[in-house]
Amino acid sequence: MKRLAAAAAFALAACATTPEKPLPKDAAHITPDTLQELVAAPPPAALPVPYTPLPPVEPMALVVLPVPNKAVVSVRLVFRTGSVDDPPGREGLTALTTRVLVEGGTKSLSSSQLLDALYPMAAELSADTDKEFTTIAGRVHVERLPRFLEILGEVLLAPRFDPKEFERLKAEQLSTLKNRLRGENDEELGKAGLDALLYAGHPYRHVTIGTEKGLGAITLDDVKAHWKNVFTQARLVIGLAGGVDDALARQVKQALSALPADGVVRKPLPPAPGVRGAALILQRDTQSTAGSFGFSTSMRRDNPAFFALMMAASYFGEHRQEHGVLFQEVRDKRGLNYGTYAYAQHSRQDGWSSIPLPNIARSEQDVSIWLRPVEAKHGVFATRAVLHFLHELRSAPLPPDRFETARGFLVGATRQWVLTDQRRLGWAIDDRLYGTGDFLGRLRQALETMTPEQVQAAARRELAPELLNFVFVTKDAEGLKQLLVKQPPTPITYATSKPAEVLAADKQIASQPIPVHPELIRVVPAAEFMRD
Amino acid sequence: MRRALWLVTLVLAISAEAAPKAKGAKRESLLPFPMQVSRLKNGLTVVRVKWDSPGLLAYYTAVRVGSRNEVEAGHTGFAHFFEHMMFRGTKRFPEGSRGNALGKLGFVENAFTSDDVTVYEVDGPSAALETLVDLEADRFMHLEYSEPAFQTEAKAVLGEYHKNASSPGLKIEEAVLGAAFTTHTYRHTTLGFYEDIQAMPTRYEYSKTFFQRWYTPDNCIVIVVGDFDDEKLMALVEKHYGPWTGKAATVTVPAEPPQTAPRTASLTWTTPTQPRLGLYWHTPAAAPTTSDAAVMDVLGDYLAGPTSPLYKSLVLEQQLVERLGPSADLHRDPNLFGVDARLKEEAHRAAVEKAITDAVAQVAAGKVDAKRLADIKDHARFGLLMQLETPAQIAVALAWHIGILGTPDALETLARQAQAVTAKDLTAFAKKHLTANNRSTLVFTVDAKGGGK
Repeated sequence: MKRLAAAAAFALAACATTPEKPLPKDAAHITPDTLQELVAAPPPAALPVPYTPLPPVEPMALVVLPVPNKAVVSVRLVFRTGSVDDPPGREGLTALTTRVLVEGGTKSLSSSQLLDALYPMAAELSADTDKEFTTIAGRVHVERLPRFLEILGEVLLAPRFDPKEFERLKAEQLSTLKNRLRGENDEELGKAGLDALLYAGHPYRHVTIGTEKGLGAITLDDVKAHWKNVFTQARLVIGLAGGVDDALARQVKQALSALPADGVVRKPLPPAPGVRGAALILQRDTQSTAGSFGFSTSMRRDNPAFFALMMAASYFGEHRQEHGVLFQEVRDKRGLNYGTYAYAQHSRQDGWSSIPLPNIARSEQDVSIWLRPVEAKHGVFATRAVLHFLHELRSAPLPPDRFETARGFLVGATRQWVLTDQRRLGWAIDDRLYGTGDFLGRLRQALETMTPEQVQAAARRELAPELLNFVFVTKDAEGLKQLLVKQPPTPITYATSKPAEVLAADKQIASQPIPVHPELIRVVPAAEFMRD
Repeated sequence: MRRALWLVTLVLAISAEAAPKAKGAKRESLLPFPMQVSRLKNGLTVVRVKWDSPGLLAYYTAVRVGSRNEVEAGHTGFAHFFEHMMFRGTKRFPEGSRGNALGKLGFVENAFTSDDVTVYEVDGPSAALETLVDLEADRFMHLEYSEPAFQTEAKAVLGEYHKNASSPGLKIEEAVLGAAFTTHTYRHTTLGFYEDIQAMPTRYEYSKTFFQRWYTPDNCIVIVVGDFDDEKLMALVEKHYGPWTGKAATVTVPAEPPQTAPRTASLTWTTPTQPRLGLYWHTPAAAPTTSDAAVMDVLGDYLAGPTSPLYKSLVLEQQLVERLGPSADLHRDPNLFGVDARLKEEAHRAAVEKAITDAVAQVAAGKVDAKRLADIKDHARFGLLMQLETPAQIAVALAWHIGILGTPDALETLARQAQAVTAKDLTAFAKKHLTANNRSTLVFTVDAKGGGK
């Protein structure tokens, strides 16, 4: 396995293929018995997470998933380029280049004519840039396929690079950063904050849409050059599904062979800094407190030990599902928020969908917990509750019935994740990118024989609370900082009666140490986030 | 999970594209599937669609209740809150055990509430159909929860409000509805007034009334899509839902009096964002017997869709507006048709407003581009086929349309009506409804340091 960063040294024993590098002495559990101990101690040493590249995929690899008699064709082009390819000082360039290609028009069609051409077909053409990969996805009815493919070819091979469209799209991207991210969505801001906190000085640090300074510096010439550098055959995986056959696949591949064979070769990424015990409080005028907690890790889905970790995270806090421990404890029993979830690998909310988004593969991964907004006065208590139940996950036996629910859900839900052709393609392409083969199939197979003990062992190995870092979005940032520094008890009272076991747990939660070090707490106004 | 106001938007995207073959074409189905419909003696409607999804199905229940039904003062947001309570258990499956039982079998659950309809969604393995029917019938017939559980869930709803309130969208919706409606229950959002949400923990007794009023077989539609044996399914449905009794209540939803003068919804945001402009007109209800909803769908795209002259001028050419789009939802009672614009700068407000009203005036004056109208219909026809790819997508589209229009063939009806929309229809609609005195205008300004001028 490739895991190094996370907690216990014995994690390594379970993973024969781990790149051997001795962990600092304190890499094992650091569980201060008292708060004083925590505060008095020096800041915990960072545990850099080494970079292990994802396996190479041959240029223009084809993934073809025909569906007999299907009247719709899905095309999914995944390029190995993302915000890590943004040159320093040009943060946001890959995302902007992608939008200029997909929306900015082609040599024969202005942006407006491009819309006119796609609209009557109800053809979909969309793009998404993540840290390491960019996906250009299209869908069209088979009756309109030839014209659609012609347009798609032009989008990639003969972009218009209209200066006016460049300025429009750049302004919109900047506005998305300055207004929508900083000012309209506490939860996404919190998640972006977690990336920034975990990856200081690393290409993962900046949001994919860029920084204010980086975006401001980008010129149309930068976009033209970047297009040639990164939208290349060497970086492309071609996915086709639905009403397709091998002949069509060959045709598409042939057309795309007009892309440059090679461009710029991506440099190896630096190790993730491996910070732990840090906090970032993003201050903005908001009613509630949103939280995102996590740590970087080299544990990826191509590691056989990942299955148990994924099950542990699902059991602890499956995304937007009621049976997760966090959902039941934080929401159902205490009514503190709308939901709290845990993720074994980097996750991104896909619009309004509750299904995991494919093709956001990262060679360096993170484990995270998403605490949805709580009333500001309960911010610390809710954080402590998350930690309390994390400790419980690692120490108390997992109730068999609850375990069976989580397992059954994961077996069933993974079938739901691949019902559309785009999603099937996405997962099949991820299988190539991670080199896993049929990941979801293997996961289901592994779940068949998985035991609660194995899952708990994975939680003990991989989910040490001491590795966590904390991001909050809140109004009274200084007040929250003081609470994190001093950590006074934060008892909670309810207007309604609660079962004795809830009240008993609350007593412990109220004084649960938060493993954050005073020297590593920063307050940043949201308006300054991603300035440069 | 569970509650998802946002799903409404998703579904509307489907409905906006729901449009089939031209008027006069052969009367073949416009939907890519046949549909079977039965009605039990107690009034429960059961809609089934066989779909190629080996081993999997979608099992959705639409209840014809939404924030529209919240007629009593102080009880806004209750339909949505009640949706949360539907996950809280029954005598047989108390608190949490229902969710655990379904999860164990591999089912994924969700639900959403809108102004007019509440939809419960379960997706999962066909092999466990028997248990699923049993569990779903059980909660619709025998819901039971304690007062403390009810009170705790009320706090989760408050959390949901807070989650949504960091974005201007919720406040804008509240302001626009508050200005446009004086009397009808559409005056409040589906989430409800904040003070009513805060008071929810005290409404335990009312919640039982709400359940009795609306969660009745004649007010519900079960929709099953995917891989299943129809005979077996119907036998299970008869067995488990057959004993369900009750009739939906009749409450008088106060009618909105005609608007006689222009209105303004003003709102100032104190953190960085962009100013917005919205123009909203009262429009007729969606009904299977009229084509108003279809005309409104087509008109939305015609006026402010991505190929409209307005979009090209304001977004692409002049770049005065960052985003522009129509706002036209299906509703049981008369609601609103609108155009939303996210302005790049406050200084552009007057110019953008004039451009939108000019575009409306052109349609009202009978100047309609026939090619664009044909393109919109093509878009709708292909779009409908493309959006119906999975059992879940089909089930939610059916639930939404049936729930609002009240007839099992609502999706197809609306699609067919959209294909029949003519230039004259657009003109007549604009002339009649998109008038100055019938309009409410959103003036959303920003007063914050360091952002959106």
